[in-house]
Amino acid sequence: MISLPSIQRRLSYFLVGVSLAWGLSISVTIWAVGRSQVEKMLDYTLLEAAEILYGLLIFNVDLLPMQGAQAMPTPYVHDEHLMWQVVEPGGRVMLQSHRAPAEPISVERRLGFFDAGDDWRVFGMPLRDDKRMLYVAHFGVDRKEANLLGVETAVAAVLLSALGCAIWLRSRVRKELGPLNELSASVAQFDPLQRNARLVAPSRAELVSLRDAVVDFGARLAKRVANERAFTAHAAHALRTPLAGMDAQLAAALRECAPEQKARLQRTREAAGRLCSVVTALLTLFRSGVDLSVQVFDVGDLIERLPLGALDIRIESTTPIAADMNLLAAALLNLFDNSMRHGATEVRINVHRSSGTVHIRLQDNGPGMPPEQVHKIQEALDCQEYEGHMGLGLMLADLIARAHRGRLNITGASPGVTAEISLADDLAAEST
Amino acid sequence: MRLLMLEDDAILGEGLRDFLQLEGHVVDWVMRLIDVARLTKGPYDALLVDWQLPDGSGLAWVKTLRATGDTTPVLMMTARDLLQDRINGLDTGVDDYLVKPFRPEELVARIRAVCRRAAGSASSRLVFGNVEIDLATKTVLVSHVAAALTAREWALLEALALRVGRYVSKDELDRLLKGGDEAETASNALEVHVHNLRRKLGRESIETVRGRGYRLVA
Repeated sequence: MISLPSIQRRLSYFLVGVSLAWGLSISVTIWAVGRSQVEKMLDYTLLEAAEILYGLLIFNVDLLPMQGAQAMPTPYVHDEHLMWQVVEPGGRVMLQSHRAPAEPISVERRLGFFDAGDDWRVFGMPLRDDKRMLYVAHFGVDRKEANLLGVETAVAAVLLSALGCAIWLRSRVRKELGPLNELSASVAQFDPLQRNARLVAPSRAELVSLRDAVVDFGARLAKRVANERAFTAHAAHALRTPLAGMDAQLAAALRECAPEQKARLQRTREAAGRLCSVVTALLTLFRSGVDLSVQVFDVGDLIERLPLGALDIRIESTTPIAADMNLLAAALLNLFDNSMRHGATEVRINVHRSSGTVHIRLQDNGPGMPPEQVHKIQEALDCQEYEGHMGLGLMLADLIARAHRGRLNITGASPGVTAEISLADDLAAEST
Repeated sequence: MRLLMLEDDAILGEGLRDFLQLEGHVVDWVMRLIDVARLTKGPYDALLVDWQLPDGSGLAWVKTLRATGDTTPVLMMTARDLLQDRINGLDTGVDDYLVKPFRPEELVARIRAVCRRAAGSASSRLVFGNVEIDLATKTVLVSHVAAALTAREWALLEALALRVGRYVSKDELDRLLKGGDEAETASNALEVHVHNLRRKLGRESIETVRGRGYRLVA
C-alpha cells in the first residue's frame, strides 16, 4: 500500500517549523536590539565613571603623586571591571587603577569613546590643563559576556515559548481533525444499500459538503445497484428458462433422432451447455458484484467435480483456498473450454500460494498461440480492454479473478498456452 | 410414474414433457394454475412446479396444497437461485429445488429420489422376496437373473414398488400408467400387463384382493 502524507503530520510539522522560525526571528531581533541597548548602557557607565573621576582628580590634581602604578595605594582585593589611567602627553602613565596596564591605553591623545583593539572599550577626556588625558575603560571580555548573557537569556525564553506554542498547536490540530476522523469512521461503516443507513452529523461547517457528497454518492450507488439487481433478476428469468428449454428439447430430440443425426444434435447440446455455463457465470458475476459468496474448498476437489468432457486433467498440486466456488468454477470451465476448442487434449493444473496470493496455473498441450498474439491478449487483460482482443471466456475469467482482488495472466508455453488465475489469499490472511 | 408439470414456458414444457415420456413417465402438463383445477386425473407420483406462473405463484399453490394435507412430492423448477428463495421454497413444503437451467437427466434423477423418499426408501434398490428392483437403472432381477420388461410392465412394477405395503386399486393404476384420457378406453389392458408381470416375476410376486387392488408381496 502506498504511504500517503498525513494532513495532521504535515500541519504539525508546518506549525512547529513556523513556531521555531518565529522564535528564531524574534531572538535575532531581541539580540540585535538588546546588544545595542546594552552597549549604550555600558558606554553611559563609562561616561559617568569618567565624570566622577574627573571631578575627584581635577580638584586635587596637584596633590596627587603622579608616579604610575605605584602611586596608588593597594585597594581591598576585588575583581576590577572598570579601569582608568591618567596619561601625560609623552605617553607616560602618571596615575592608574590597580589592574590597569602599565602601558598607556592610547599613546595618542584620543577624546570620547573608542575601542582599543578587542581588549578595551575606552572613554577619553582631557584633565584641566588639557595636557594630561584621563582614560576610563571597560574590559572587552566583560562587555561581550554581558551582551552574550542577555542574548542567551532572551533566545532561550523565546525558543521555550515557541516550543510550548508548537506543542499546543500540534494538539490543537489533532483536536480540530477529530471530527474528520469521526466522519471517516462513519463513512467506513456506511452501507448505502441498507434502507436505514445514516452518516454521523458533521460538527464542523467544512465537513457538511463532504458528508452531503458521500450521502449523495451513496444514494446514486444504491439506485444503480437496485437497478442492476432488478435487471439481473429479470435477466435470470428471461435467460435461464429458455436455456433450460433448449437443453430439454435437445435431450428429447437426441432420444428420438435417427442415428446419423445423433452426433450433430450432441454437438448442439454441448454448445448449449457451454452457453448455459457462460450465462450462469455472467448472472452470478453481476449479482455478486457487491458480495462474493466466499467459502473454503480445495481447488483440486472443485476441478474434479467439473463436467470436462474428453479433456484429460492432471492435477499436479493443489491447496485449499477461500473464494466464491461457483464463480471460480465458471472461470475454470471457461478456461478449460478455451483449451479444448483450441485443440488441447490435456491440461496440467498447479495450485500454489506465495506472498499473499494463490496462483492457479492451467497449462494445456494445444498448438498454442504466436507470441505476438499472447502479448496482445495480455496487454488487453492488463488494461481491461477486452473487446476485440479475446472471447467471452477469457473476459469472464479475468472479471472473476478481479472480483477476488486478483487477475488473469496468459503466457505462451511450449507446447500450448498457460493461463494463470491469481487470487488474493484470504485463507492465509485469516490464519495469520 | 405419473407426473403433473406446471410450466408456463412452451419450449421448456414441451421439451421436458417429451423427455419424461421417453423415460417412461406419464406427464400432465399445464401452463397456468387455473388449468390445474380443471384436472381431475390424480393421483400423481410427483408434482413439478415452476415458481412464477402467469396467474400466480407456484410456491403459494404448493402452500395451499400442503394445507389440505396433500403429501405428494413436489419439485420446484425455477430461475430464482438466491439462497433465501431456496430456503423459502423448502420451508414452504417443496421437497426438492432445481435451478434453471438444468439437465433433464438431473430432473429425472431428482424425481426418482423424491418419490423413493416418499415411499420410505433411501435406496433405489428395492427387494421383494426373490425380486430385486433397481429404480435408477430400471432393471429387475428375479433370483439374480435379469428379467426383460416392456415399458408398460416396468411402469406398472414401479407404481406398485413405490406404494409398497398397500393395495393399489385398478382405477388408480390405470390413471398412474396411462393418464385419465386413456384409462377408460383401455381398461382391460391392465390385467394383461399384470398377467405378463406375474409370468416374468413369479405368480406369487403380485397379490390381488378383489375390490381393493394389487400389491407387491415382500
